[in-house]
Amino acid sequence: MATDAENGGQHANMAATKKQRWTWAMQILVVLMLLWLLLNGTDRFLAGLLAASAGAGLGAWLVSGQPHPWKPHRLLWFAGFFLWESLKGGVDVAWRAIHPKLRIEPCFSTHRIELPAGQPRTLMVATVSLLPGTLSADLDEAGRDLEVHALMPEAIESVERLENWVAWLFSIDS
Amino acid sequence: MSASEVLASLLLLTGGLFYLAGTVGLLRFPDVYSRLHALTKADNLGLLLVCSGLSLLAGTWRAAALLATIWLLGLLAATVSAHLIARHARAHDAAGDKR
Repeated sequence: MATDAENGGQHANMAATKKQRWTWAMQILVVLMLLWLLLNGTDRFLAGLLAASAGAGLGAWLVSGQPHPWKPHRLLWFAGFFLWESLKGGVDVAWRAIHPKLRIEPCFSTHRIELPAGQPRTLMVATVSLLPGTLSADLDEAGRDLEVHALMPEAIESVERLENWVAWLFSIDS
Repeated sequence: MSASEVLASLLLLTGGLFYLAGTVGLLRFPDVYSRLHALTKADNLGLLLVCSGLSLLAGTWRAAALLATIWLLGLLAATVSAHLIARHARAHDAAGDKR
Protein backbone atom coordinates (compact mmCIF):
# COMPACT_ATOMS: atom_id res chain seq x y z
CA MET A 1 0.00 0.00 0.00
CA ALA A 2 2.92 2.33 0.69
CA THR A 3 4.29 1.97 -2.82
CA ASP A 4 0.80 2.56 -4.16
CA ALA A 5 0.62 5.86 -2.28
CA GLU A 6 4.07 6.88 -3.52
CA ASN A 7 3.17 6.23 -7.12
CA GLY A 8 0.18 8.39 -6.53
CA GLY A 9 -1.36 7.85 -9.95
CA GLN A 10 -4.91 6.68 -10.40
CA HIS A 11 -3.76 4.01 -12.78
CA ALA A 12 -0.39 3.30 -11.25
CA ASN A 13 -1.58 0.35 -9.22
CA MET A 14 0.11 -2.95 -8.83
CA ALA A 15 -1.80 -5.75 -10.53
CA ALA A 16 -4.28 -7.31 -8.17
CA THR A 17 -3.42 -10.75 -6.85
CA LYS A 18 -5.72 -13.73 -7.27
CA LYS A 19 -6.96 -13.51 -3.70
CA GLN A 20 -7.69 -9.81 -4.08
CA ARG A 21 -9.68 -10.49 -7.23
CA TRP A 22 -11.79 -12.99 -5.33
CA THR A 23 -12.44 -10.38 -2.63
CA TRP A 24 -13.54 -7.91 -5.30
CA ALA A 25 -15.79 -10.50 -6.92
CA MET A 26 -17.48 -11.32 -3.61
CA GLN A 27 -18.00 -7.65 -2.79
CA ILE A 28 -19.53 -6.90 -6.18
CA LEU A 29 -21.66 -10.05 -6.01
CA VAL A 30 -23.15 -9.04 -2.65
CA VAL A 31 -23.96 -5.51 -3.83
CA LEU A 32 -25.49 -6.64 -7.14
CA MET A 33 -27.49 -9.41 -5.46
CA LEU A 34 -28.90 -6.98 -2.89
CA LEU A 35 -29.91 -4.64 -5.71
CA TRP A 36 -31.60 -7.49 -7.56
CA LEU A 37 -33.54 -8.59 -4.49
CA LEU A 38 -34.57 -5.01 -3.85
CA LEU A 39 -35.84 -4.39 -7.36
CA ASN A 40 -37.24 -7.80 -8.18
CA GLY A 41 -38.02 -9.63 -4.95
CA THR A 42 -37.17 -13.30 -4.59
CA ASP A 43 -38.79 -14.66 -7.76
CA ARG A 44 -36.35 -15.54 -10.54
CA PHE A 45 -33.64 -15.72 -7.90
CA LEU A 46 -31.47 -17.90 -10.14
CA ALA A 47 -31.53 -15.43 -13.03
CA GLY A 48 -30.45 -12.71 -10.60
CA LEU A 49 -27.66 -14.87 -9.21
CA LEU A 50 -26.47 -15.58 -12.75
CA ALA A 51 -26.48 -11.91 -13.75
CA ALA A 52 -24.82 -10.84 -10.50
CA SER A 53 -22.13 -13.51 -10.88
CA ALA A 54 -21.44 -12.37 -14.44
CA GLY A 55 -21.11 -8.77 -13.21
CA ALA A 56 -18.86 -9.82 -10.35
CA GLY A 57 -16.65 -11.90 -12.63
CA LEU A 58 -16.29 -9.09 -15.15
CA GLY A 59 -15.59 -6.58 -12.38
CA ALA A 60 -12.90 -8.77 -10.83
CA TRP A 61 -11.34 -9.36 -14.23
CA LEU A 62 -11.16 -5.66 -15.14
CA VAL A 63 -10.33 -4.32 -11.69
CA SER A 64 -7.31 -2.03 -11.48
CA GLY A 65 -7.12 -1.12 -7.80
CA GLN A 66 -6.89 -3.06 -4.60
CA PRO A 67 -9.94 -4.14 -2.64
CA HIS A 68 -10.30 -3.11 0.97
CA PRO A 69 -11.75 -5.35 3.64
CA TRP A 70 -15.33 -4.61 4.62
CA LYS A 71 -16.18 -3.79 8.18
CA PRO A 72 -19.97 -3.46 8.33
CA HIS A 73 -20.05 -1.77 11.75
CA ARG A 74 -17.63 0.88 10.50
CA LEU A 75 -19.80 1.41 7.43
CA LEU A 76 -22.76 2.02 9.75
CA TRP A 77 -20.82 4.59 11.78
CA PHE A 78 -19.67 6.27 8.59
CA ALA A 79 -23.27 6.35 7.32
CA GLY A 80 -24.31 8.01 10.58
CA PHE A 81 -21.55 10.59 10.29
CA PHE A 82 -22.49 11.19 6.66
CA LEU A 83 -26.21 11.61 7.42
CA TRP A 84 -25.49 14.07 10.20
CA GLU A 85 -23.11 16.07 8.00
CA SER A 86 -25.64 16.09 5.12
CA LEU A 87 -28.20 17.52 7.51
CA LYS A 88 -25.78 20.19 8.73
CA GLY A 89 -24.65 20.96 5.17
CA GLY A 90 -28.20 21.35 3.86
CA VAL A 91 -29.34 23.55 6.74
CA ASP A 92 -26.16 25.63 6.55
CA VAL A 93 -26.35 26.37 2.83
CA ALA A 94 -30.14 26.93 2.92
CA TRP A 95 -29.67 29.43 5.75
CA ARG A 96 -26.94 31.27 3.89
CA ALA A 97 -29.02 31.36 0.70
CA ILE A 98 -32.10 32.91 2.29
CA HIS A 99 -30.25 35.21 4.69
CA PRO A 100 -30.78 38.84 3.57
CA LYS A 101 -27.06 39.60 3.89
CA LEU A 102 -25.97 36.48 1.97
CA ARG A 103 -23.25 35.48 4.41
CA ILE A 104 -20.73 33.81 2.13
CA GLU A 105 -17.04 34.36 1.59
CA PRO A 106 -16.11 31.95 -1.22
CA CYS A 107 -12.49 30.83 -1.48
CA PHE A 108 -10.33 28.06 -2.91
CA SER A 109 -7.87 25.83 -1.11
CA THR A 110 -5.72 22.89 -2.19
CA HIS A 111 -5.82 19.73 -0.15
CA ARG A 112 -3.24 16.98 -0.61
CA ILE A 113 -4.96 13.62 -0.36
CA GLU A 114 -2.98 11.07 1.64
CA LEU A 115 -5.41 8.21 0.99
CA PRO A 116 -4.39 5.45 -1.44
CA ALA A 117 -5.88 5.53 -4.94
CA GLY A 118 -8.98 3.50 -5.66
CA GLN A 119 -12.03 3.19 -3.44
CA PRO A 120 -10.79 5.39 -0.56
CA ARG A 121 -9.79 8.32 -2.74
CA THR A 122 -12.92 8.07 -4.88
CA LEU A 123 -15.17 8.03 -1.83
CA MET A 124 -13.30 11.00 -0.38
CA VAL A 125 -13.60 13.15 -3.54
CA ALA A 126 -17.26 12.20 -3.91
CA THR A 127 -18.23 13.06 -0.33
CA VAL A 128 -16.32 16.34 -0.05
CA SER A 129 -19.06 18.02 -2.10
CA LEU A 130 -21.73 16.80 0.28
CA LEU A 131 -20.06 18.11 3.43
CA PRO A 132 -21.10 21.48 4.84
CA GLY A 133 -19.47 24.34 2.97
CA THR A 134 -17.03 22.41 0.77
CA LEU A 135 -17.08 21.38 -2.90
CA SER A 136 -14.51 19.32 -4.78
CA ALA A 137 -13.72 21.57 -7.73
CA ASP A 138 -10.75 19.93 -9.40
CA LEU A 139 -8.32 17.05 -9.07
CA ASP A 140 -4.85 17.13 -10.60
CA GLU A 141 -3.67 14.56 -13.14
CA ALA A 142 -2.07 12.34 -10.52
CA GLY A 143 -5.26 12.38 -8.47
CA ARG A 144 -3.57 13.70 -5.35
CA ASP A 145 -4.12 17.45 -5.08
CA LEU A 146 -7.76 18.21 -4.58
CA GLU A 147 -8.91 21.75 -5.29
CA VAL A 148 -11.59 22.49 -2.71
CA HIS A 149 -14.02 25.38 -3.01
CA ALA A 150 -15.43 26.61 0.28
CA LEU A 151 -18.35 28.90 1.01
CA MET A 152 -16.59 30.02 4.19
CA PRO A 153 -12.84 29.76 4.88
CA GLU A 154 -13.41 27.80 8.12
CA ALA A 155 -15.20 25.03 6.21
CA ILE A 156 -11.84 23.85 4.81
CA GLU A 157 -10.98 22.19 8.12
CA SER A 158 -13.74 19.61 7.68
CA VAL A 159 -11.89 18.10 4.67
CA GLU A 160 -9.16 16.83 6.99
CA ARG A 161 -11.77 15.32 9.29
CA LEU A 162 -13.46 13.57 6.36
CA GLU A 163 -10.13 12.12 5.26
CA ASN A 164 -9.62 10.62 8.72
CA TRP A 165 -13.10 9.12 8.62
CA VAL A 166 -12.50 7.54 5.19
CA ALA A 167 -9.13 6.16 6.33
CA TRP A 168 -10.85 4.65 9.37
CA LEU A 169 -13.64 3.18 7.24
CA PHE A 170 -11.14 1.36 5.00
CA SER A 171 -8.84 0.46 7.93
CA ILE A 172 -5.91 2.41 6.50
CA ASP A 173 -3.12 3.26 8.93
CA SER A 174 -1.94 6.81 8.62
CA MET B 1 -54.79 11.70 10.05
CA SER B 2 -52.67 9.24 11.93
CA ALA B 3 -49.46 10.28 13.66
CA SER B 4 -47.28 8.78 10.93
CA GLU B 5 -49.23 10.66 8.26
CA VAL B 6 -48.72 13.93 10.09
CA LEU B 7 -45.00 13.20 10.43
CA ALA B 8 -44.79 12.23 6.75
CA SER B 9 -46.49 15.46 5.70
CA LEU B 10 -44.06 17.46 7.83
CA LEU B 11 -41.11 15.66 6.25
CA LEU B 12 -42.45 16.26 2.73
CA LEU B 13 -43.08 19.95 3.43
CA THR B 14 -39.64 20.47 4.99
CA GLY B 15 -38.08 18.67 2.04
CA GLY B 16 -39.87 21.02 -0.32
CA LEU B 17 -38.61 24.00 1.67
CA PHE B 18 -35.02 22.82 1.24
CA TYR B 19 -35.55 22.50 -2.51
CA LEU B 20 -36.89 26.06 -2.45
CA ALA B 21 -33.87 27.29 -0.46
CA GLY B 22 -31.54 25.52 -2.90
CA THR B 23 -33.21 27.30 -5.79
CA VAL B 24 -33.00 30.64 -4.00
CA GLY B 25 -29.29 29.96 -3.53
CA LEU B 26 -28.95 29.13 -7.22
CA LEU B 27 -30.43 32.52 -8.06
CA ARG B 28 -28.69 34.62 -5.42
CA PHE B 29 -25.17 33.21 -5.11
CA PRO B 30 -22.58 35.14 -7.09
CA ASP B 31 -20.61 32.48 -9.03
CA VAL B 32 -20.77 28.98 -10.47
CA TYR B 33 -19.08 27.30 -7.50
CA SER B 34 -21.25 28.85 -4.82
CA ARG B 35 -24.35 27.96 -6.82
CA LEU B 36 -23.20 24.35 -6.95
CA HIS B 37 -22.98 24.38 -3.15
CA ALA B 38 -26.63 25.37 -2.97
CA LEU B 39 -27.72 22.74 -5.48
CA THR B 40 -25.78 19.78 -4.11
CA LYS B 41 -26.33 20.23 -0.41
CA ALA B 42 -29.78 21.77 -0.07
CA ASP B 43 -31.34 19.56 -2.73
CA ASN B 44 -29.81 16.39 -1.32
CA LEU B 45 -31.24 17.12 2.09
CA GLY B 46 -34.56 17.93 0.40
CA LEU B 47 -34.50 14.59 -1.41
CA LEU B 48 -33.62 12.78 1.83
CA LEU B 49 -36.58 14.35 3.63
CA VAL B 50 -38.98 13.67 0.76
CA CYS B 51 -37.80 10.04 0.56
CA SER B 52 -38.20 9.64 4.33
CA GLY B 53 -41.72 11.05 4.17
CA LEU B 54 -42.67 8.74 1.30
CA SER B 55 -41.21 5.72 3.12
CA LEU B 56 -43.39 6.51 6.11
CA LEU B 57 -46.47 6.77 3.89
CA ALA B 58 -45.65 3.55 2.02
CA GLY B 59 -45.08 1.78 5.33
CA THR B 60 -43.11 -1.19 4.00
CA TRP B 61 -39.42 -1.95 4.46
CA ARG B 62 -38.98 -2.72 0.79
CA ALA B 63 -40.34 0.66 -0.27
CA ALA B 64 -38.06 2.32 2.29
CA ALA B 65 -35.03 0.43 0.97
CA LEU B 66 -35.92 1.38 -2.62
CA LEU B 67 -36.31 5.03 -1.66
CA ALA B 68 -32.97 4.90 0.17
CA THR B 69 -31.39 3.52 -3.01
CA ILE B 70 -32.97 6.37 -4.98
CA TRP B 71 -31.48 8.85 -2.51
CA LEU B 72 -28.02 7.30 -2.84
CA LEU B 73 -28.24 7.39 -6.65
CA GLY B 74 -29.39 11.02 -6.42
CA LEU B 75 -26.36 11.79 -4.23
CA LEU B 76 -24.06 10.09 -6.71
CA ALA B 77 -25.52 12.04 -9.65
CA ALA B 78 -25.32 15.33 -7.74
CA THR B 79 -21.75 14.94 -6.55
CA VAL B 80 -20.41 13.72 -9.90
CA SER B 81 -22.15 16.43 -11.95
CA ALA B 82 -21.17 19.15 -9.46
CA HIS B 83 -17.54 18.07 -9.66
CA LEU B 84 -17.61 17.99 -13.47
CA ILE B 85 -19.25 21.42 -13.76
CA ALA B 86 -16.80 22.92 -11.25
CA ARG B 87 -13.84 21.39 -13.06
CA HIS B 88 -15.07 22.72 -16.38
CA ALA B 89 -15.49 26.20 -14.87
CA ARG B 90 -11.97 26.00 -13.40
CA ALA B 91 -10.50 25.11 -16.77
CA HIS B 92 -12.25 28.09 -18.34
CA ASP B 93 -11.14 30.44 -15.55
CA ALA B 94 -7.57 29.27 -15.97
CA ALA B 95 -7.79 29.97 -19.70
CA GLY B 96 -8.75 33.56 -18.88
CA ASP B 97 -12.34 33.20 -20.01
CA LYS B 98 -14.20 35.73 -17.88
CA ARG B 99 -17.74 34.83 -16.87
